Amino acid sequence: MRIEISGLTKTYRGGVAALDGLDLVVPTGMFGLLGANGAGKTTLMRILAGLVRPTSGRVTVSGHDMGTGAGRTAVQHALGYLPQDLGVYPDLTARQFLDYVALLKGMDDRAARRRRVGELLEVVALTGDADRRLRGFSGGMRQRVGIAQALLADPRLLIVDEPTAGLDPEERIRFRTLLSQFAGRRTVLLSTHIVDDIAQTCREVAVLARGRLIFRGTVDELTHRARGRVWSIVTDGPPPAEGTVVSALPHDGGMRYRVVAPAAPGPQARPVDPALEDGYLALTAR
Amino acid sequence: MTSQTARALGASLRYEFRMQVRKPSVWIVPALTVVLFLLIGGSLLRDLFDPDESSDDARTTVVGLAVQVHTLLSIGYGCLLADRLVRDDRLRVAPILDATPARPSARLVGKYLGAGAATAVPILAVYFGFAAAYAVHTGAPDALGWALATCAVVIVPGLLFVAAFALAVPLIMPAPLFRVFFVGYWLWGNVVAPDMMPTLARTLIHPLGGYPLDALLDFHGIDGGDTWAGPVPGATLNFLRPDPTPTTAWLSIAVLLALAAVALAGGHAVRARRA
Repeated sequence: MRIEISGLTKTYRGGVAALDGLDLVVPTGMFGLLGANGAGKTTLMRILAGLVRPTSGRVTVSGHDMGTGAGRTAVQHALGYLPQDLGVYPDLTARQFLDYVALLKGMDDRAARRRRVGELLEVVALTGDADRRLRGFSGGMRQRVGIAQALLADPRLLIVDEPTAGLDPEERIRFRTLLSQFAGRRTVLLSTHIVDDIAQTCREVAVLARGRLIFRGTVDELTHRARGRVWSIVTDGPPPAEGTVVSALPHDGGMRYRVVAPAAPGPQARPVDPALEDGYLALTAR
Repeated sequence: MTSQTARALGASLRYEFRMQVRKPSVWIVPALTVVLFLLIGGSLLRDLFDPDESSDDARTTVVGLAVQVHTLLSIGYGCLLADRLVRDDRLRVAPILDATPARPSARLVGKYLGAGAATAVPILAVYFGFAAAYAVHTGAPDALGWALATCAVVIVPGLLFVAAFALAVPLIMPAPLFRVFFVGYWLWGNVVAPDMMPTLARTLIHPLGGYPLDALLDFHGIDGGDTWAGPVPGATLNFLRPDPTPTTAWLSIAVLLALAAVALAGGHAVRARRA
């Protein structure tokens, strides 16, 4: 499903502009969305899920105009949505919660619904806890329930906002693999702070800052933004004053710093190959 | 109503009923209320099987029982429902539900009917439990027929009225504050005599069902000397107190249901405007 966004603006009460004239096209496949807190990612996701009305601008999904009730409903029929701040009914079991959401998504055939719920509980490794009340679930388990509900009804558009928050490393990797396998001919819009999740799953990415699009291209292109600007420096003194420190590791009694800076941050600094995170920092540190 | 809307309503009704009926307070609050009033002298709940205190007439007795159960337990009923709509936002479940193609209005009606019915289960269990015990004790099976009729024209419209406001009003004020206002309203609007101060008691907008009690069930208190509807000499708001007739009784029920629909529509509009 192709998403076309033009001139999208959302201003909340009090004059806070979350989105400011955003233009963006999201093609079929995995698509990453990066940005700092307050960049407008979650607002964009909520508009695409039909939860928030934009102040101005136009959004179409496979030609359906999200500005109309009929358009929103048509998109929601094809939508799986995992919100950033996920909540569940604590008094339902995981199976009941998924059954309820499946019913609301229009999965009327009881046998098919039960089968799908069972499959997804297996996928998110919750089969053994399926009939326990959600009240007793950990944050990571709830997140997995959230992932399962998003995949109900086999959505053609999957919008996931910080999906790996609260998951342990193994679960994170499993979910990333699941998303990549799921994408295929569908559209998966992945918003996250965790740049590595984008690096491992997406070919294309957009970066938002203060409600505006500041980059749209491939992951390689974003990584390339940092070429010649990533440095490794070993020192037992203070961290380099110039540039953005990406990482700091103890090294032979001193520290090894990885720094994104326009020029070498010291005489001992040597250039290293950039990673996506470096490209993102090089872009946003401007 | 499209089949899709009906399915969303049905799903919401079913799960809201299930969640609410499992809530311990739904059972504890009415149970404590009943125990309290069983301990208080003068309660029909206690005097039901005392031939000196209850009426010889099965209709009068079970209708009187309905008035007492409805008056007492509806206070807890409104309070218990006050968090049902706002809790979707509090629990952060609303975004998941709102992102489905199910119409929000259908989900609202499903929640209203499901949570309302679940909260009414203990009330109806108490009422029909006492009515059945009375029918067996006195050998008057017609008491159960009168109980059903009273439930249909007095208790159910009253509870539907209360449930709609209990769901919708907490969208514009905190639920605890609503509960305080609701208890005050219930006592003022039902118990205070109209000649003492302006009140909705004995008007068409009387959720205790004064008009149906008077005009459809011919109930005038256990002793036969009470008046439940109609104008009160010297009282204000008498324009809302036409003479009780079957027509005004049905009108009263229709007004209560229409006001319930307005409250729900208002709640729906408030939620939609926040999007």
